[in-house]
Amino acid sequence: MSPENTDFLYPFIDSAEHDADSLLTDLAESASAKATENSRLCRSCLETLGNDLEQVAGMIADRFRVGACLYTFGNGGSATDAASTAALFSRSPGHTGLAARCLVADQAVLTAIGNDVGYELTFSRQLIAFAQPRDIAIGYSTSGNSANVVLAFEEAKRRGLLTVGLAGYEGGHMAASDAVDHCFVVPSHSVHRIQEAQAALSYLLWESVHTKLASSRAPASAGRWQMVVGQASTEPEEAR
Amino acid sequence: MRTDRLLTSDSQLGHDSGGPEAADLAACSFAMARRFTSGGTLWCAAPTWPWHAQHVAVEFVHPVIVGTPALPAVMVPGDHLWESLRPIALAGDILLVVSRSDDPAVVGLRQRAQAWGLMTIWIGAGPRPEPGSADYVLWVDDEVLSAYGGRFVLLYHLLWELTHVCLEHPGLLTPEQELCEGETCITCSDEGRLAEVVAVQADRRAQVRTPAGIETVDTTLLETVRRNDLVLVHAGTAVTLVQGSTR
Repeated sequence: MSPENTDFLYPFIDSAEHDADSLLTDLAESASAKATENSRLCRSCLETLGNDLEQVAGMIADRFRVGACLYTFGNGGSATDAASTAALFSRSPGHTGLAARCLVADQAVLTAIGNDVGYELTFSRQLIAFAQPRDIAIGYSTSGNSANVVLAFEEAKRRGLLTVGLAGYEGGHMAASDAVDHCFVVPSHSVHRIQEAQAALSYLLWESVHTKLASSRAPASAGRWQMVVGQASTEPEEAR
Repeated sequence: MRTDRLLTSDSQLGHDSGGPEAADLAACSFAMARRFTSGGTLWCAAPTWPWHAQHVAVEFVHPVIVGTPALPAVMVPGDHLWESLRPIALAGDILLVVSRSDDPAVVGLRQRAQAWGLMTIWIGAGPRPEPGSADYVLWVDDEVLSAYGGRFVLLYHLLWELTHVCLEHPGLLTPEQELCEGETCITCSDEGRLAEVVAVQADRRAQVRTPAGIETVDTTLLETVRRNDLVLVHAGTAVTLVQGSTR
């Protein structure tokens, strides 16, 4: 129709494109490259953070022994990672359940706090209501800067909780904050790759906590842990 | 620390990793982009792991990369999957499920979805579903990895990333063609089509739902017909009961 062909100026609206095969080849190559980067990043994180992760697992196990509850939180995709971690600790098949809850789970509480006092207080306000000094807080933010996550760590720290952060990029406010006892930073600028590596770190943290708990006897104090020990004796051997 | 089970190979895709092939992800993303372009909605369900359904939905609705278009994706409760979807899902939509293959909530996934005209994507780990259980099956063989959700997260992240690459090629995203070539036309005549019973009439006929809309069919060949039954329709007649109405 037009005497000049200007399609090359607008590659994204090239309606004359017909060859899906070359696109599909590009897509598959792109998927493979990203999946390889996923493996590389997870491996490198475990190499550099593995020892710290073991240490933190020991501290978390110590707190579970005296009846701690684990609270997890985050926003968006990180909220779902927080939910995943809480479920892993509390109800993973074949393993003893440990007290763990995700602070994103209740829409009524979230929207009430967000509406009445501000979104940045959504998690800290809940910790004021629930948290005991023996408890544990694990927060997720790929930027490390989410205001409600940072404020939750500050509230948790004031109350004596063990605070563990999972961040990306250079760690943001979370890495710099005194309120975060241990901040695991996934050194990547891709939100997706960061979340995937955080999922691996969370899983290995959970696995390590169970290893630590299995290798020690519970103290005589009352509380959740005694209940947990009672359950553990009926668990199959593989759960130990 | 035991990393060997999480990182079985240098990539998380392809035969060596026990995961899906990159080419399957590519084909799936292309089909998703086609449906989004035609106005389709992505429905996401994960009966045992609702956070995965939420994560998929938030990826598409609120993209992390500024300037990327927001696409309609919705988390649906997995324990009431079919009841939730029935009044709202439309032909041309997509249903993505993250679950084990034996999850009772998703039994008959593809057939029910086919009657409604939904494309199905099934992500999971452990024993594989029967071949053909969904239009796209993206599976991780190692069952341990269903507790470690990271592999699933990678798979749906990749689906999101690749779908947006496809959207940059609108010329390739023409609607799927309905071919009508004489005697072999699926829509008009020959082949059995899945349909869901919407209303049973007194004259041994019933109204059924298919991707094309609501039509009236003869049910004299079936002993009993109930609302929500899935039936096979051939030339205006319901010939077989495929799935009971319990869903």
